[in-house]
Amino acid sequence: MKTIACVLGGLVFALCSSTARAQDAPAGDLANGKRVYLATGCFTCHGRAGQGGAYNGPTPALAKTAMPFEGFKMQLRNPAKDMPAYSDRVMSDQEIADIYAFMQSLPGRRDAKGIAILGD
Amino acid sequence: MRRTQSKRTDDSPTIPRRNFLKGATLAGAAALGSPVPANALSSAPKANLKAAAPGPRQIAAETQPPVKDPVTQTSSGGDFMVDVFKTLDVEYLTMNCASSFRGLHEAVINHGNNSKPEIVNCPHEDIAVHMAQGYAKIAGKPIAMICHGVVGLQHATMAMYNAWCDRVPVIVMGGNIVEANKRAPGAEWVHSAIDPAAIVRDYVKWDDQPTSLQHFAESAVRAYKIAMTPPMGPVMLSLDAELQENPIPDAESLRIPKLAKVIPPQGDAGALAEAAKLLVTADNPVIICDRFARTGAGMARLVELAEALQCAVVDNAGRMNFPSRHPLNQSFRRGTVIPQADVILAIEMNDLWGALNTFSDRIVRSSQPITKKGAKIITLGSRDLYLKSNYQDFGRYQDVDLAIAGDGEASLPFLVEQVKRLVDAGRKSAYETRGKRLAAARLAMVEQAKSDATLGWDASPITTARMCAEVYAQIKDADWSLVGNSIRNFWPQRLWDFKKPYQWNGGSGGAGVGYNLPASLGAALANKPHGRLTVAFGGDGDFLFNPGTLWTAAHHQIPMLYVVQNNRAYHQEYMYLQAMAARHGRGIEKADIGTTIKDPNVDYATVARGMGVHGEGPIIDPNDLAPALKRALAAVKAGQPAVVDVVTDPR
Repeated sequence: MKTIACVLGGLVFALCSSTARAQDAPAGDLANGKRVYLATGCFTCHGRAGQGGAYNGPTPALAKTAMPFEGFKMQLRNPAKDMPAYSDRVMSDQEIADIYAFMQSLPGRRDAKGIAILGD
Repeated sequence: MRRTQSKRTDDSPTIPRRNFLKGATLAGAAALGSPVPANALSSAPKANLKAAAPGPRQIAAETQPPVKDPVTQTSSGGDFMVDVFKTLDVEYLTMNCASSFRGLHEAVINHGNNSKPEIVNCPHEDIAVHMAQGYAKIAGKPIAMICHGVVGLQHATMAMYNAWCDRVPVIVMGGNIVEANKRAPGAEWVHSAIDPAAIVRDYVKWDDQPTSLQHFAESAVRAYKIAMTPPMGPVMLSLDAELQENPIPDAESLRIPKLAKVIPPQGDAGALAEAAKLLVTADNPVIICDRFARTGAGMARLVELAEALQCAVVDNAGRMNFPSRHPLNQSFRRGTVIPQADVILAIEMNDLWGALNTFSDRIVRSSQPITKKGAKIITLGSRDLYLKSNYQDFGRYQDVDLAIAGDGEASLPFLVEQVKRLVDAGRKSAYETRGKRLAAARLAMVEQAKSDATLGWDASPITTARMCAEVYAQIKDADWSLVGNSIRNFWPQRLWDFKKPYQWNGGSGGAGVGYNLPASLGAALANKPHGRLTVAFGGDGDFLFNPGTLWTAAHHQIPMLYVVQNNRAYHQEYMYLQAMAARHGRGIEKADIGTTIKDPNVDYATVARGMGVHGEGPIIDPNDLAPALKRALAAVKAGQPAVVDVVTDPR
């Protein structure tokens, strides 16, 4: 029950904060974010396009993530589920900010109706 | 190389085995002072040899008339073995040629005219067993596989384990030379064993080493019956070379036993009635299944049960259990429907505990049930009827309320009847409401899947969603059959319309790498007479275990579109290593060492062409994918195998 409450709390926080997420984030270096994202293996679970994937279970899409920066950082430092933790020994706060900036720069979702072969 | 070593001419006397004793006798006679060729004298030891006094056997060898040594024969034990296979309607014999079953091999091609069974020439025993596994899941019946004594069986073992875990009938045979005094020096000794099946006994249902042809006939029929009785599984027969090769001593006395129709066991009627009562009175019943449908009728029966209850179905996709687009298919909403369930019916589940609990792969491993407190859990399946101890493929023990031992498919008609009998008008109305709610959720899930698929749509490397969508666009109007998939590629089940019993056949079983390519080819062999379009996805790592499968595909002209999901890594391991490095707080940029398949990149299309298979790729630009698939499919529709190498993002 405690877990469910935490998850719900997180969702509410994420929804309330979604409009302000980019502004709340520290300035990030997009190019370095891309480099770190690829070099440190974030892409192995979340995809080079931030499309998500699968590890022991589904891994979420991160392209244009609605998660606020603080939540994003918290997930890296002390992750839920099976995601490995990235401590400040291996990834600085600035690198996390860079990755976050890179995630926000990705194209994100399109209207599936605009892709004919997804209509079948 | 192994085959060359097994030839007698390499490191053993040129004397045929039947003449070996005669040769030995002559040598013994020479040592006793018989005349020897002059050219042998120069190499004779200088020391004076003191020959032992001749014993009774040596005296007999010298004084008795020569042993009768015929050079031809008019029948062989192998002929009779072929006759047995014909009565069992065994269509194919997958194999890699080897001297320990040369007798049976020759009988198949000449006595049997290479028909029922027809030889499928495989460049590795792992391929031969996996082909049989893939074949059986589409055809609904086993084929046979034969391998070399000892070393061939050692190659076959992992595939046999996959078949065991996947509960698939495969008739495995291996050559052997039982009598020590009949073995030629060298290879025949290292390829013989007292108990050849010892290394596979933990993962075959039954094995035997017949000592006569009548014994073989009875054991072959018994093996077939055991393999086909749920829970199905591989069986093993060790065949003595002399039994295969030598004349039939008493043909008129041999009899091939009748194979009775195998009737899978139905669960206890009283227990099924109790299960029906629990399901009918539940607010949110959920059906979860894995290796359930074993015939074309299985899916229809499950649809009937789900529709009678208007309940959620979670399909673990061990077989083609439930239509992917059925409104009650909630497989991708399992995290929602299972915790809401007050009654769960688990049918032919392999790992029920894993489906009903979360498990945390962290420093301290922990778990938590996801089921509602007080939820009733019913199991129905044949798994409880036969288990073995050593290998732990049975998974963690799950508490259940009602465990019904019986074949799921055979038990469903009675269960459906009981459910329908209990559903009155009042319940029907409530069920309809429930069904509509599930259907709406299912529609939302489909839209979510389509939206998710657009992420990275134009990216290179190509996303797995794009790859699967492009393949489906090319095959959807054909009579397709997807028979292989790469690890955790859920896009076909999320996006495609699976509705026919042969449109999916499950995974490897034991998660032994190397399954996908040969098992897909075996399934393609089963699909071939039906004119179905066989399609498979497979990882590049899996491909590299058994690339020789492509030669078999070309040699036997087995049409199949094989799409290599080329993420240039053993990607699951890459992620695990990344997790270890992150956990230890060091070296998080080195996880590609030992986990990736690059430097150089493998060109799978060129590998395919080198084996006589149509090859396309590597496809890097997503816009090149559709044209490549069209060209490959043209070859497949012309009866050829084709490989499309798609360079993809990891998952």
